[in-house]
Amino acid sequence: MTLTGMKKHVSVLEEAGLVITEKVGRVRTCRLGQRRLEEEAAWIERHRQLWSARFDALDKLVEHMKREEKVDAQRKRR
Amino acid sequence: MPKENEGSTGTTNHTAVERKSDRELVVTRTFDAPAHIVFEAWSNPELFKVWWVPKSAGLSLLSCDMDIRTGGSYRLVFRHPAFDQPMAFFGTYKEVTPNKRLVWTNEESEQGAVTTVTFEENDGKTLVTLHELYPTEAARDEALAGSADGLPEQFAQLDELLAS
Repeated sequence: MTLTGMKKHVSVLEEAGLVITEKVGRVRTCRLGQRRLEEEAAWIERHRQLWSARFDALDKLVEHMKREEKVDAQRKRR
Repeated sequence: MPKENEGSTGTTNHTAVERKSDRELVVTRTFDAPAHIVFEAWSNPELFKVWWVPKSAGLSLLSCDMDIRTGGSYRLVFRHPAFDQPMAFFGTYKEVTPNKRLVWTNEESEQGAVTTVTFEENDGKTLVTLHELYPTEAARDEALAGSADGLPEQFAQLDELLAS
């Protein structure tokens, strides 16, 4: 990778808050923006918990509705 | 780290949550039923009430008004023991296409997302894709954040529920 290419990659990571860079003299040091990563993981986890709970309940309801529909259809056939 | 899935990818009954971009959340799950049944569970208020509020959240749904047609509005009112006043969530259905697609706004705050839900039936099963588009990245970060402090205890209840 060229130096210019590397700079582009790092700046994308920096804008996303995933790395923090510091330039001292001619050297730019990169380190992981750890807090941001943890926040991101926590955000995903909150949403995963909510939607898993909702969709597990929806799954049960839908199963029940499907059985009811089958029973209704059988009744109509008789 | 744009994507994180729930453990068991081999089963159909698994909820995938993806941070698609800085302003978007995408949740997918396949249900073992035709689209008209799954859509009914989303669009009939009596059925919607059964599953929308996780039992573990400690919320009770005081009222649920849904005028489910394009241009119609909805209003859900909740009560939580930790708050004196009930909380209302409301908005407008931008699109209602039976058994296929629902689009609604979340107007309780100016930073509310636009939610799109699609229903795709294939071989008797229905893939539900829920997409939330937030107006800004900050709005996306704040979604659910307000309730997060009180959540660990509720998550413990949720774990119990899911394990039972």
